[in-house]
Amino acid sequence: MNEPTDTIKSHAPLRPSGIKPETCMACGTCSAGCPITGMEGFDPRKIVRMVLENRDQELIDSKLPWLCTMCGKCEHACPMGINIINIIRDIRGQVDRDKVPGQIHKGVELCLETGNNIGLPGEDFTFIIGDVAEEMAEEEGFEDFVPPIDKKGASLLHTLHNKLVNTQNEDLVHWWKIFHAAKEDFTMTSENWEGVNWGLFSGDDEAMKIIVGRIVDHMDTLRIEHLMYPE
Amino acid sequence: MATRSGLEKWFPEFFEKHKAFTVFDLLVTYISSGRITLDKNLFTMKIAYHDPCNYGRKSEEKFGHGYYEEPRWILSQFVSNWVDLYPAGANGYCCGGGGGTMLTPYKEVRSHYSRKKIEQIKRVNPELIVLPCHSCHGQIKQALAENNMDIPVKYLWEIVAEALIMD
Repeated sequence: MNEPTDTIKSHAPLRPSGIKPETCMACGTCSAGCPITGMEGFDPRKIVRMVLENRDQELIDSKLPWLCTMCGKCEHACPMGINIINIIRDIRGQVDRDKVPGQIHKGVELCLETGNNIGLPGEDFTFIIGDVAEEMAEEEGFEDFVPPIDKKGASLLHTLHNKLVNTQNEDLVHWWKIFHAAKEDFTMTSENWEGVNWGLFSGDDEAMKIIVGRIVDHMDTLRIEHLMYPE
Repeated sequence: MATRSGLEKWFPEFFEKHKAFTVFDLLVTYISSGRITLDKNLFTMKIAYHDPCNYGRKSEEKFGHGYYEEPRWILSQFVSNWVDLYPAGANGYCCGGGGGTMLTPYKEVRSHYSRKKIEQIKRVNPELIVLPCHSCHGQIKQALAENNMDIPVKYLWEIVAEALIMD
């Protein structure tokens, strides 16, 4: 029998040790470590087994890859070092984009279109930042705080988690306060300010690269030397 | 983590011109160099620290370094009574909100997932939970509420900001 070549087994990146999934001993240590083994048919050992049997389409059509939090406890425990998380992400990447559950791909699409995962218009972003900063400047010690946006030659780029300009405005100030106290020369950006890259979760390398590329562009355009990893 | 792995994979030249820092790198630098000073009398209650998978196991796997020591060093600079959940570090349990699952409709599985974290928290019975991840923050808050547990959850940088001593 000819082995199919374009399978999850063949293209899910291996772990740094280079160990192939074929070395699986079916010991089940992965499943013992996984907190959701048995839930809705989820079982990392079985998923590896299905990959070895080239049952790719079954996995792609199931909701199994989306139940996993990709926490890596399974592969951390795996005595062979099999690439279970990369297998999960590879399956996710092969699902038709309109069948990706919930907000994961919708967020990626919005980010590509608008520069952030929630599609927040620029004027709303500027308003929220200004409003929260004004309130913060009423606190002792932060009276002269002005939120830096698109500051050329700043030392540090600070991207934002979309939650902070959505449902958790009150959490915007923590880093601003730390930067202010540390006299850090930081800046945020008015466009493409998103710090979170859901292409990682949706298995979409193309989108992920575009979104990372925007950070590189900010650093070049604004001549910023340092980046704060957003997550 | 997505940004860092994306930069390393597709824009390796980025690191020739730029330096990049995690939230821990920045906090450790600011505190150890004296750029910020923290009030040591503010956080005296029992605080439990939760390791996010992305900064622990996943960073260890992807970048060769898991951020286990740094957050604990930061806590030790101004928090008098912080404790680990057990198991912690590389063997820790995910909160149930990783991998984008907060964005999926599978809420029941998420709740089931978080039972492990809730058990860990109950064993320690802290007055505050501190963590450095937006997903864990949302998921643990939700899980505590579902279990009728009234314990506040804060970001690591949130308690740092609260403890700042301004000149």
